[in-house]
Amino acid sequence: MTEQHGDAPPDEYVEAEIQRMLAEDPAIAEQGITVVCLERGLVLYGEVESPHRREEILRRVAERFPRVPITSDIGVIRTQAPSQVEELP
Amino acid sequence: MIRIAAVGDVHMDEDVVGRFRPALDELPDCADVLLLAGDLTRHGSESEARCVAREFGNLGVPVISVLGNHEHQCDEVPQVVKVLEDVGITVLEGNGIVLECAGGRLGVAGAKGFGGGFAGRCASDFGEPEMKAFVQTTKDSADALGRALRGLECDVLVALTHYSPVPDTLAGEPLEIYPFLGCYQLGQAIDSAPTALALHGHAHHGSERGTTPGGVRVRNVAHPVIKQAYSIFHLGDHLDRG
Repeated sequence: MTEQHGDAPPDEYVEAEIQRMLAEDPAIAEQGITVVCLERGLVLYGEVESPHRREEILRRVAERFPRVPITSDIGVIRTQAPSQVEELP
Repeated sequence: MIRIAAVGDVHMDEDVVGRFRPALDELPDCADVLLLAGDLTRHGSESEARCVAREFGNLGVPVISVLGNHEHQCDEVPQVVKVLEDVGITVLEGNGIVLECAGGRLGVAGAKGFGGGFAGRCASDFGEPEMKAFVQTTKDSADALGRALRGLECDVLVALTHYSPVPDTLAGEPLEIYPFLGCYQLGQAIDSAPTALALHGHAHHGSERGTTPGGVRVRNVAHPVIKQAYSIFHLGDHLDRG
């Protein structure tokens, strides 16, 4: 899923603030999302355990930084049974 | 042969309940035990622990877990442990357990572990009290894991932690945060015993395979790394040969 918001280029402090917010905001509490600062905005990538969490991340970040262009590339981790076994002789 | 299923960092809450269960229901056919490498919850609340209990309780195979850093966020560790233990999940912290499996005796020693960094790039027990307390936590956790590993009498010995004992399985994470993802002292503890396999989680962007300096195989089973409900490892072929 890819979404964009805002129009103001971010600086390093915004990048740092978003990274901390992802972990410290009780509604998010994600340490596995990476924030990458590109020329025209920030990209969030990583994987979460449910579509709801992905939506919540985007909603909270857009709410707090409405002018920062955010692109999201966050996936939902698959939960299928393994098809292979690792043999460790 | 002993069959071990393992996963970490499942970060359960109401929105995740049921996602793992279809795969977990297959466990009695393919594994002797399920090991959980910590970060079972989002914030470590009692209510999230109940979600873990619903998803990972009553699976038909023994379930053994360590806690992760997320289980400490709400300061409800005793309540979390009780909820898990009430559904038969064994929670290890500086101790171990031996299971009689069809293929032999499996010993599992576990501890959450802590950060600190790896040889040549690690925190030192020096300076401010806060820094000394940080490093002391690292040392205490690794010491407890080492004692637990060396104290188990079994055919196959497995170490279970949340933090990583080696940098190998962190490949993919930014180098700058390695000291927050694991420490070499855990590797030293693992190498102080005849450990066959070390399992950990925590590093969501890390990689699956590594080895301690002493040659023990290490696997990062964080859910975002393995991208399946759990991984399965077969160990102890020598036990079948008698």
